[in-house]
Amino acid sequence: MATTAVQQGGGGGVQRSGGSGELYAILDLILDKGLVIDVFVRVSLVGIELLTIDVRVVIASVDTYLRFAEAANRLDLQASRGKGLSDLTGDLTGGLNATDALGDAQGALAGATQAGSGLAGGATQLAPSGAGLG
Amino acid sequence: MSVDVYKYVYGVVCASAVAPARAGLGGAPVELIACGATAAVVSDVRERELDAGRQELMTHAEVLEDALRDGVVLPMRFGVVMADGEAVRRELLQRHHDVLLSQLSELAGKVELRLRAVFEETAVVGEVLREHAEIAALRDALRGCDEDAAYYERIRLGEMVADAVARKCEAEGEEILRALAPLALAVDRGGGAHERMALHASFLVERDRVVEFDEAVDELGRAQDGRLRLKYTGPLPPYSFVELPTEG
Repeated sequence: MATTAVQQGGGGGVQRSGGSGELYAILDLILDKGLVIDVFVRVSLVGIELLTIDVRVVIASVDTYLRFAEAANRLDLQASRGKGLSDLTGDLTGGLNATDALGDAQGALAGATQAGSGLAGGATQLAPSGAGLG
Repeated sequence: MSVDVYKYVYGVVCASAVAPARAGLGGAPVELIACGATAAVVSDVRERELDAGRQELMTHAEVLEDALRDGVVLPMRFGVVMADGEAVRRELLQRHHDVLLSQLSELAGKVELRLRAVFEETAVVGEVLREHAEIAALRDALRGCDEDAAYYERIRLGEMVADAVARKCEAEGEEILRALAPLALAVDRGGGAHERMALHASFLVERDRVVEFDEAVDELGRAQDGRLRLKYTGPLPPYSFVELPTEG
């Protein structure tokens, strides 16, 4: 049936589904909205808990915080991928003796391998020996 | 002793409507029970213990969608079972006749459209770091620290990011509503069930304006591609816009 087919909409990030095409998108409607009357036999619904995962309220938790911290950290590494050679040497000379700055150097070196060019091979070899210095 | 039979109720339509030509729960035929100008869409169920499995929930939704295609329908919540046809006629249709009739007339030619907007994690965390120097500074300070040693600091960082993301969700949700609400007759905004959810809302839209609404959502999707993930569902029966007064 045409209206229940899941289709990619014309918009870049729009996922479009007609009606019950994707059950979980309307699960909370079917279970929480709609008419109820005061006089009816409310049957016991068996197996409903398996389907209500997406309806649950997510409570901010330590796990959530750690995940966001991890996401912030990942972005940091992605940003350092763009570092040029001068930044790289700066990080190396400034940071060889301090443990926390060593992280910077390693990050930058890892970035250099991603950046390609002739430097990449040497940089990968430098990383383990740099770690040994700390 | 005969087996008990109950009536499962999908929704309420105009008495002039035809029953959806699709099998109901358990394969039973869907039929109409009329009373005055209204009719209930029902099918027989044999047990009081109803499996609320994927199949049953889908059937409920699909019967209502069929009814919507033919006209106006007031959807019931999943799981409403009445003793028999007489109970449906008396307790539902007769007792609430005027309210049901006025809602049928109010909702004629209108459908529910549902939109969910969730931030992409990389995009929103990146924005937070750019917009909040103190969060970026804490992130930098924790860089390269031993993970276990900095455990509580990392939680603090995550909490700051989470708070900032929540504020962005609120603001972004308002922004989207401002753009789409003028195309709708009513909006029902649900709570965020996800820490990166900017909006989860149902819009009551005239059928004639659904295409216009579609285009507005598509435009939003194009403008926010890579930043917001949109999930757009409908047209649906107006689940979020029906109500019966409860009696004490």
